[in-house]
Amino acid sequence: MEDLTAVAVHTDVSLWGLFWQAGFIVKLVMVGLLGASIWTWGIILDKSLGFGRAKRAFDRFEQVFWSGQSLEELYRNLGDKRTTGMGAIFIAAMREWKKSFEKGARSPIALQMRIDKAMDVALARESDYLAARLTSLATIGSAGPFIGLFGTVIGIMTSFMGIAGSKSTSLAVVAPGIAEALLATAIGLVAAIPAVIAYNKLSSDAGKLTARMEGFADEFSAILSRQIDEKLPRT
Amino acid sequence: MRGSITSSAIIHAALLGWGLLSFSAPTPMDMANSESMPIDIVSDVSQLQKGDKKAEKNEKPAPKPTQKPQTIPDAQNVGDSETDVETKPATETKAKPVEAAEAPKPSETPVAKPDPQPEPKPEVKPEPKPTPVPATEVKPEPEPKQEVKPDPVAEAINDVKPVPAPAETPKAEPAPQAEKPAEEEFKLPEKVAMPQAKPTPPAQTAKTPDRKETPEKPKTQTASTPSKEKDGIADQVADLLNKQKASAGGAKRSTDQASLGASKTTGGSSLSQSEMDALRGIIEGNWNKPVGAEESPDMKIIVRFRLTQDGQIDGSPEVSGTGADAGLLNAVKSSALRAVMRSAPFNLPQDKYDTWSTVELTFYPGAT
Repeated sequence: MEDLTAVAVHTDVSLWGLFWQAGFIVKLVMVGLLGASIWTWGIILDKSLGFGRAKRAFDRFEQVFWSGQSLEELYRNLGDKRTTGMGAIFIAAMREWKKSFEKGARSPIALQMRIDKAMDVALARESDYLAARLTSLATIGSAGPFIGLFGTVIGIMTSFMGIAGSKSTSLAVVAPGIAEALLATAIGLVAAIPAVIAYNKLSSDAGKLTARMEGFADEFSAILSRQIDEKLPRT
Repeated sequence: MRGSITSSAIIHAALLGWGLLSFSAPTPMDMANSESMPIDIVSDVSQLQKGDKKAEKNEKPAPKPTQKPQTIPDAQNVGDSETDVETKPATETKAKPVEAAEAPKPSETPVAKPDPQPEPKPEVKPEPKPTPVPATEVKPEPEPKQEVKPDPVAEAINDVKPVPAPAETPKAEPAPQAEKPAEEEFKLPEKVAMPQAKPTPPAQTAKTPDRKETPEKPKTQTASTPSKEKDGIADQVADLLNKQKASAGGAKRSTDQASLGASKTTGGSSLSQSEMDALRGIIEGNWNKPVGAEESPDMKIIVRFRLTQDGQIDGSPEVSGTGADAGLLNAVKSSALRAVMRSAPFNLPQDKYDTWSTVELTFYPGAT
């Protein structure tokens, strides 16, 4: 606190000085934008790490899946683990398959439809999980500059009121106020630019992963349909 | 998610901390050597002037006539100079002694002259009065000068001199007339007045007693002429001397009648910055700097010109310049003049004509 007051007495144009001299609304805007920036970078880190993890998991799963291992065995291996992505889709499909066979399925078409539904649900859940919080990136990216601009407008308004109050048009009177006001826009842009870039990158990544999962789901559906044809007694 | 948020917050805090340290306070801009304007305009600024409330509006705004300040201020400094000087003695000790030494001289010479003058004057004046004619006889005086030489030798031989005089007289018969006046000294002038035509030679002989006058007249003249010459030299020196006080300054004293203001509004303002910029831009665009002008950064060309109301140049601009050798200076001067002439019809606000009726432009060819 001592430090803060010492800086506040200093009417300098440093980064902290600009922030500290700003009005309440501008300060609020700056703090909000700083929080948005932290949130943005948190999402970016989380998503890029998560997508990398998901991609590696998909690679590993596909490798195991196409290694010629029996589906039952794979299901048993994965069943007791918490799975995401392709594994989750596989498990959902296998669970439905098992349930249907335990109760003695009559119609192969109905069975096929139920398995597809289960896989669709799992796929939707997984792609939702992948795309979660990307919308907040989009929001920050589009609204950040506006919020910063709002702070700037308020700040410039305040400094022009200062001119009216001090009856002096000297640049020295206006300059600090305008500088602090522009700082708000700067923070807004700092928050928004990475958000926009990351949103575009991450949403396309999520789209790719989802497409990969869909492709797997279709392939798996085809495999299961073949199995149903083989296993069910011909009526 | 929480992990990445916290790591993001940590990264932000680190970046902000680094920013606070590195962008702490921007170094103040150094505006010292920023003479980058190649052309500078000094328009004849008629500033607001303090007029007289009771006076009427005049054609030209004029302030109250200023009072002449007390010329002899109280002594401010202790020094060696002979007069009190407001400024410090160190600078004026060189100039002042010359004035102080010269000034007494003319005063001394007139004082000295009256002493010799009263002596010859009584001699000169009383004598011309009885002889009002000699005024016409001033012409023959050069000849008596020739006779001045024998004066010291033959003051007593005055009788002898008439002998050579007859030698001259044979040319003219009036010699007997000359002999008579020689005897009667005072009647002589009256008779001389008669033969005014050309019988001057006898007059010369007759004037032998007057020789004392004639030699003395030149003396008075010579005595006076040197004094006049001395005065002339002193005047010349005094003219050459810089009599302006070193401490003098400020505006010129107003001699105009005080007025409430001008009948037309000058606004009391100079040209606005944008108008000056426009003018500067036009002239700068028309200015072709000669090759090599940019190498001499000290060069400075001043162009002064008057403008008519239409914005045309009135008369011929004065150009002066410093800071380079004569050849280059002339080239740059003429280029500056051409630039002014080429951009001649200046489009300037009419209501501020008073401010731009006389424009002084300063060109800095060295500035880029």
